[in-house]
Amino acid sequence: MEIPYIVEPRKDTGLNNSKIAIWLFLASEVMLFGGLFSGYIFLRIYADYPWPERTLPVLPGLINTFILIASSITVVFAWVALKLGNWRKFQIHMSITLACAALFMVFKAVEYKAKLEHQAIRLDDYTVIEGHAYPQVKGGDKKITKNLNIKASQVQIDLKRIDDIYYETMGAQYEGKFTLADRLELNSGTVFEKDTEISKSMIDAAKEDLIKALANNSNINIAVARQASSDAGDQPHLKGKRYYDKDRKDFIAKRTKELKTAEKDNYADVTESLTFKSKEGKVDISVNPRWGKLSNSKEGEDGTLKLKDETLISGTTANSSIEIHVDGIDFRHTVMKAVEKGIDPEAAINNSWLLKDAGMKLIWDKHLVSVAKLEESLVGTDHVPTDVELYRVNWQEIAGLEKHSIADLKGMTHSEIKKLFPGDIEGFAGPNHGKVTYPAITVPREQVRFEAVFSPRWNTYYATYFTITGLHGLHIIGGALVLGYYLFFGRKMFDSNPEWLANRVEVGGLFWHFVDLVWIFLFPILYLM
Amino acid sequence: MADSPEEIKKHLTLYKIIGATLFVCTVLTVAVAKIELLDFGARGFDTADMVLGLLIALFKSTLVAVVFMHLSSEKKMIYWLFGFGLIGAFFLMAITAFAFADPIHYEGFFGR
Repeated sequence: MEIPYIVEPRKDTGLNNSKIAIWLFLASEVMLFGGLFSGYIFLRIYADYPWPERTLPVLPGLINTFILIASSITVVFAWVALKLGNWRKFQIHMSITLACAALFMVFKAVEYKAKLEHQAIRLDDYTVIEGHAYPQVKGGDKKITKNLNIKASQVQIDLKRIDDIYYETMGAQYEGKFTLADRLELNSGTVFEKDTEISKSMIDAAKEDLIKALANNSNINIAVARQASSDAGDQPHLKGKRYYDKDRKDFIAKRTKELKTAEKDNYADVTESLTFKSKEGKVDISVNPRWGKLSNSKEGEDGTLKLKDETLISGTTANSSIEIHVDGIDFRHTVMKAVEKGIDPEAAINNSWLLKDAGMKLIWDKHLVSVAKLEESLVGTDHVPTDVELYRVNWQEIAGLEKHSIADLKGMTHSEIKKLFPGDIEGFAGPNHGKVTYPAITVPREQVRFEAVFSPRWNTYYATYFTITGLHGLHIIGGALVLGYYLFFGRKMFDSNPEWLANRVEVGGLFWHFVDLVWIFLFPILYLM
Repeated sequence: MADSPEEIKKHLTLYKIIGATLFVCTVLTVAVAKIELLDFGARGFDTADMVLGLLIALFKSTLVAVVFMHLSSEKKMIYWLFGFGLIGAFFLMAITAFAFADPIHYEGFFGR
């Protein structure tokens, strides 16, 4: 079948069909990204926490901007080459465009990786600390260790909610260590004696029995309800009464009770949960914090670890602290909360849990000297230090001032202090933990208000960052696939109908320019504002 | 839009100039955000920096749309389509803004 108006324009629109189609698509894309940008704007305006402004390392974003601009130029050149009938030049320019797309995604991946390895903790007093929560060993395992730990004496499994994936993950920690607390007799006749060891097959049998019992009981209840309703219809004094009539409702309630009593022997026993006791002493159980929550996070006290499938693990809370190598301290949220409560911000900072640690106190004292020097440098101008400068210590400051004493810093000017800070290249996509050993602190779990890596879970800024840049990245991949198709499979069309191929490349190029156009706004909004 | 080979060849220089302008404007955007001397308004990030940053971005995107996407010499219908997309985007922003002005956020609305 021949597709009409792919080269020559339609008379009514003056355009070929593919061009109208791509512009219609781009119009919908403008609305899609416009909606996401508006979401970002309103989340930022109404944020109830200090917005992480200018927090992303600029270099990867800047390089990616250059890459996209370069690819926008080469894609136009590729189209020009086709229009001039030069296949070789088309190949060169389109190959560069695709290389740019690949490079863009590589830089994006480097950036995402750095974010997903970077831990943040909001302490109970709203102090935010950032850093790496895994051992700082070169080439070592980068698995973040921050599990919730409990010395368990009892595990209670909710048969209605238990999920296979939870048991499959946790089972190894239970099996051989926990036994049934009471004798269990199922409706099917199967019996599990007291002290039988916990097993998947036992839980599956009990779960299946529960489902059958609930279905059986539900069927009886439905039959009873129907019978009661039918009996109500047979009552002369209730004839013509609607379902909401009080007399009718009272009759049905009474009749239902009678019928249920008559059926009582047919109801199956419902066992909704199974309780297991530890065989000997207390058993160490360790769970990823995403899977559950501790009722009491104080080490050594009684507590319960509740998993998301309602499994309750009771015992004594064990050490669930997080060791973190700190590359960022942010007191802005502490100050915000102090101001809300009418407390002096300085007092709130000085009384914070973090500054009870000598290493952290030293970092903060150096920061105060740096701020004092900044204030000195601003004397005679209209300017004052920003909240970020006053209350946030970033990785450059920690790394740069690490080897200098407070006395040293007091003898320097602000610009001399700034010169000690490492440049952007050293922390290309985030703090460089390879060059500097950042001071470590152990944060007890009861001090942790919230913790996450810099993922969408951490705050709405990162949620929008990952959503918009992720969607943009998918556009890059989609665009590259289309342009790659023209490059690798376009030769035949170039020989038979070069104008058609040129039109196709123009349409693909329009999409590519649009992707560049979105990034032109994304870069300053996410990286520089 | 240029269609003959001669006209297209003439545009090559323009594409190079626009590309260079985009590079320069990108450096300028970063300079405005990072260099103290170019920090307009109050110290650090503020409305002045935001307006300036967005104006540069708007200028860059206009260059891309007008020259690279050939909007400078397109048919009327394309302007209608693109305009429709832009109006739709602003409409989406406006309805979010209206949601924030909803009286449901005003305590007195419920007689408290």
